[in-house]
Amino acid sequence: MFSSIASLQPRQLAAQVLNFALVLSTAFMLWKGLSVFTNSSSPIVVVLSGSMEPAFERGDLLFLWNRGMDTQVGEIVVYNVRGKDIPIVHRVVRRFGGGSAPLQLLTKGDNNAADDTELYARGQDYLERSKDVVGSVVGYVPFVGYVTILLSEYPWLKTAMLGFMALTVVLQRE
Amino acid sequence: MHSSLVRIQNVFGYFTSVAFAVAAAVAVSVLLSSQTPSASLELKNVQVVKGRPHYYSTKREEYAHVKFDLDADLTSLFNWNTKQIFMYITASYPSTSPSIPPPEAVIWDAIIPSDHAPFHPNTYIHPTSKTPSKSKSKNKSKGKPYPEGASPGIVKLSNQKPKYQITDFSGKIAERENATLSLHWNVQPWVGALVWTNTNSYGRWSGLKGGVDKFDFPSLKGSETIKKEDLKTETGAEKNRGSPA
Repeated sequence: MFSSIASLQPRQLAAQVLNFALVLSTAFMLWKGLSVFTNSSSPIVVVLSGSMEPAFERGDLLFLWNRGMDTQVGEIVVYNVRGKDIPIVHRVVRRFGGGSAPLQLLTKGDNNAADDTELYARGQDYLERSKDVVGSVVGYVPFVGYVTILLSEYPWLKTAMLGFMALTVVLQRE
Repeated sequence: MHSSLVRIQNVFGYFTSVAFAVAAAVAVSVLLSSQTPSASLELKNVQVVKGRPHYYSTKREEYAHVKFDLDADLTSLFNWNTKQIFMYITASYPSTSPSIPPPEAVIWDAIIPSDHAPFHPNTYIHPTSKTPSKSKSKNKSKGKPYPEGASPGIVKLSNQKPKYQITDFSGKIAERENATLSLHWNVQPWVGALVWTNTNSYGRWSGLKGGVDKFDFPSLKGSETIKKEDLKTETGAEKNRGSPA
C-alpha cells in the first residue's frame, strides 16, 4: 500500500489534496449560505432528546427558518439556554409582547408535563425571540441525523470514520 | 472497476438517491390531498381567581380557568403523510397598549396520532361516555384518541377542563374584554414541511370553518365562593412528569 503512495507524483498528490480541500470548502460554503438564507446560526439541527415525542424522536433532522420574527403560539422553536450551548427543541405555549415591545415566549416540550421555566437560566422567566431563539422548525426528515448522535456519544467512531475515508481516498487512486 | 467496494458504493449511492427522491415526492404530494376541517368551539365557563397557578409561582396572581365544549372534525387532515396532529386551543386577549399585539396562551392540547403511527404513551386518550375520569388508569392502555366508532381527528368534548391556567404577565387578568378562544392544529408529517392552521383556502385545502369563540374575562371571584375542585386542570398524558427533561 505504501509503495502506491510513493509512486504518486507530487503533481498528482497536490491535485488530490486540492480536490479534497475543494470538497470541504464547498460543503462549508453551502452550510454558511443556508445559514444566511434562513438567517439562523444553525439552520439544520438534530433532535437530541425525547422531550418532543412522538413528534420528534432522537436523531431526526429539523430544518429551521429564522426570518419569521413574529413567532406564534404552537410553533416549534429551537433555542439555547443562556449560558449553555445545548439547543433545545420545544413548542411555544405562551407569548406576549411583540410590536414595539420585545416578543417573549414560554415553551414546553410535548412529552413534558411541565413547561420550560425550570430549564431557563436563573432569573429568566421567558425566552426573548430576538436573542435566545435559533429558529423555528419548518420541515423535518426522520432518523437521518442519528449518525451525529452516534458520533458524539462514541468518539472512537469519529476516528474510525476518518481513518476509513482516508483509506478509501488513498486506495482509489491506484 | 468491478471490485466489491465499488459495487457497494454504487448500491449505497443509488439507494440514497432513490430514498431522497421518494421522500421529496411524498412531501410535495401532500398538496394534492383535499382538506375540509371544521370545528365548533364554545366557552362553557370562565372563572378568575387569585392564587398560585404554577408550581414555580412565587407570588399570588390572578389566573383564569376556562371550561369549554369542543366538537371538531379534523379527519380530512389525516393523509398518507400525516404522522400526528397536535391540536391546541388558545385564549388571546387584547394587550394594554395598542402598539403591542394580543398576548396568547395555550389552555388545552392533545396529540392525535394517525392509525399507522407506532404507539406512544403520550398520545391523547379521548374520554368516553361510559367511563368517568376516575378510572383513567385502567383504560389508559386501551383508550383511543377519538370517540368510539370514529376515526382520528374527531374530538367531542363537553365541559372540558383546561390543561393550563391563563395568567397575564402583569398578574391581572380579571375583567379583560374581547378575549378569543380559538382552535389550532399542527400537522406533523412523516417527512416534509410542518403545517399549521389555515383559515384561508389554498387549492384543495379548505380553511378551518368555525372553531372560534369570543368571551370576556369576568371579575375576580372571592376564594370563599369557589370550590377547589372547580379549578383543577386536566392531566395530560406526557411521559415526563415533574421537572422538564
